[in-house]
Amino acid sequence: MMSFIRPRWRKPAGVILAGAVFAAAWGIRGGPHWSLWVTLFGIVALTRALWLYLLSGDDSDAGALAGSLADERQKSLSQRSWAVSGRFAMTAAFIGLTVAVAAKASWWWPFLAILAVTGVGYLLGIAVYQAQSAD
Amino acid sequence: MRNRVREQRTQRGLSQADLAAALGVSRQTVISIESGRYLPSLPLAFTIARFFNLPVDKMFDPEDEEAGR
Repeated sequence: MMSFIRPRWRKPAGVILAGAVFAAAWGIRGGPHWSLWVTLFGIVALTRALWLYLLSGDDSDAGALAGSLADERQKSLSQRSWAVSGRFAMTAAFIGLTVAVAAKASWWWPFLAILAVTGVGYLLGIAVYQAQSAD
Repeated sequence: MRNRVREQRTQRGLSQADLAAALGVSRQTVISIESGRYLPSLPLAFTIARFFNLPVDKMFDPEDEEAGR
């Protein structure tokens, strides 16, 4: 689907879509100030989408990644950054789970869920990208 | 790993931006390859070698690691 969208618009379009979904969740949630939250998240998403679009015009690695026009080195850079991000998420989830367990808190399970998802994601990556066995 | 990208480019009077456009990569990638901070993939190494009309082992010399720094 994304291939139908011009490269410079792909990431901004993704941000707008995510913002719209999140804003809709606040709309469904309701409450006294639901329209305020929907407007706020809409503005945040549009601002970030505009920022990404403007950044994509920049002659830099960040610009190429924002514009979905990255070459092999820039794609590798992005992959390594996502790997760091995954490690951060896993470490933060482990710390959160440990603290929640020690504090006998009821909110331990979201940390366990994040830990499980990142762990499964890692194993999935190994399964998909590992070298295939010889004939 | 030493490479002769900068040497070949300057001999032909090309800017880094010209070479980047010819290779279909970013200017930043050309800069990284020339400085030895990035080792190109095999396909890109062959593309570079073909562009300069040289064998790939003349463009990239694994024996001369220290000289490339």
